[in-house]
Amino acid sequence: MLVFAASDKGGTGRSVTSANLAYQRALTGDHVAYVDFDFGSPTAAAVFDVPGAMRGTEERGLHSYLEGETAEPVRIDVWRQTEHPLLRARPNQSGRLVLFPGDAGGGEFATGEEALERCVDLLLKLNNEFDVTFVDLSAGRSYAVDMVLDATAHPRMRNVPFRWLVFHRWTRQHVIAASGLVHAEHGIIGGGVERGHDEDELRAAIRFVRAAVPDPESPLWSQGSTAQATWMQACDEALRRLAAEQRIGDSVVLGIVPLEPILQWQEQLITEEDVLSTQIANKETLEALEEIARRLTDDTHWGRL
Amino acid sequence: MAPRQSTPPAVLACGEIRTCLLPARQALDIRSAAQLLGLRADERVLLSERPGLYARSPETLTGVDCPLPSANGARVRAVGTVTAHAALTEGRVLQTSAHCRMPGTGPDQRRPWGEYLVRPGVVEPLGKLPRDAVAQGVLGGPRHGDLDVGLIADGLLTRVLRHPLLDQRPPFRSRPTRLRWAALPAAPGEGPALERFTLAEDELRTVRLRVPEGTAGADIAALCDDLALHDWLLTTVVRMLDGLRLGAGAAHDAGAVVRTLRPAVDHLLHLWMPGARVGRELAALWDPLEERPGFTRQWQALVQRIRDQLTLHAIPAAHREVEPAP
Repeated sequence: MLVFAASDKGGTGRSVTSANLAYQRALTGDHVAYVDFDFGSPTAAAVFDVPGAMRGTEERGLHSYLEGETAEPVRIDVWRQTEHPLLRARPNQSGRLVLFPGDAGGGEFATGEEALERCVDLLLKLNNEFDVTFVDLSAGRSYAVDMVLDATAHPRMRNVPFRWLVFHRWTRQHVIAASGLVHAEHGIIGGGVERGHDEDELRAAIRFVRAAVPDPESPLWSQGSTAQATWMQACDEALRRLAAEQRIGDSVVLGIVPLEPILQWQEQLITEEDVLSTQIANKETLEALEEIARRLTDDTHWGRL
Repeated sequence: MAPRQSTPPAVLACGEIRTCLLPARQALDIRSAAQLLGLRADERVLLSERPGLYARSPETLTGVDCPLPSANGARVRAVGTVTAHAALTEGRVLQTSAHCRMPGTGPDQRRPWGEYLVRPGVVEPLGKLPRDAVAQGVLGGPRHGDLDVGLIADGLLTRVLRHPLLDQRPPFRSRPTRLRWAALPAAPGEGPALERFTLAEDELRTVRLRVPEGTAGADIAALCDDLALHDWLLTTVVRMLDGLRLGAGAAHDAGAVVRTLRPAVDHLLHLWMPGARVGRELAALWDPLEERPGFTRQWQALVQRIRDQLTLHAIPAAHREVEPAP
């Protein structure tokens, strides 16, 4: 299965959350690919802690591959090449976790017919090799989004299952923007239909993930005043109403990732160790990630509503 | 420039093979295989049904003019053509294979292109060929810009995989492998020998051979295609069993074991026929591999394991799930 990770704005936690979902799927035994189509600002190498492996890949990343300058994009075996001490001991019974990095210097670029064919070649190859392939897309209605909408409408891809995750933060502006990315006239659904996708099928394959959501009940805020608590509750309720009006209400939410202090400081994978031994991460965060990773392939959370 | 009459004999042959599962729900029958591999209108696809279904495309030629890879940094330019074909075994395993031969010396300057075209599959150095350094360079992996027969095999694979006959629904997930080979001349009077077979990275194998002078490049390529096919089969089935969670803990999902192993039975177990398409002289090179590590021995152990697992799961669960006493 292909999973496209999109967001309207930067800073929504799209890359770090989808990298964590990839990690969680690999822990359960799936072979997982993580494809960095965030052409403007590739960050996956930092999340997976493979900076050393990135040296010398400037010319053989996905950007060069799509432009036809290299026949095969670089792949980085995360368990083997990470500098993260905990990840290096590949957990027993885990599947492979392979990162396909973008080029260090590559920006957005115009897609052409041949780049599209190469994109289809790559996605098919990955789908034949990996159980789940995460594709992290540049924010907004980017070339990356257009390209995968084109690719998934291509006749060669007709039998390849795919799903979309749209990440957004839990604020007024982010809720409106995420809804626009999907539902606006030339949004993901509109743009997909223009390219030959079936509207209902595409809609059924899109779910939202709310990231960095402050939980008013959380001990993080227990020091606050009553007035603050009341204000937060009211905000939360107003946002829920807004999300429902914007057609991104609870029924199309795959999961909610709570505000996690360590992710505010550093984009990283959250391991069991971070929760249990060093206790720098919250149990709720890890549980949320595990649950979203599980729901990705649980059909009861997908489909037409 | 007067055309040259002959080329000196090849002192090095090298090639690379990509092997993967055909991404199609059903194995292709012989007619579809011929359609898939009909790369040239002017030449037919080679088809054979004994001892198994096998189809091989006509050879395609790719012109090259670039430096040769070399282990010692020597930059020798070479010009000529690399030959490549695609092959399909039992309508299920797809391979593309590119190779070329190199003489010990070539003209000091590039000749008219027509002179290279009449020697298909020969790449001539300008000047003298640093044979051992190039052999090592080929196996070690060429640098960007150097002659890379693997790229040619990969390009052909990409082309075949775009064929509309393929529905892109492989019956199970698997990884493609690459096998690089280099063949040097054997000492006079000596037979062919397999000097080294290594599993370099997860997907890369390298093979170093010695062959008697005059051995055809196509014959060596056929041997290496055969090694690559069987190595892929072993690798793939080993990984299938690796992904299995066995024992009482996993017993609640007996279906998972059958689901994982069934594709092996449906699509792979009948493909094991080492040496079936290799000339008699080179087929002897299978012997050392059979002795150690023992390809067929390992294969038989895997087949037995799969059959045992399937038998075990044919027993009603009530009798199967007995916890062994500690």
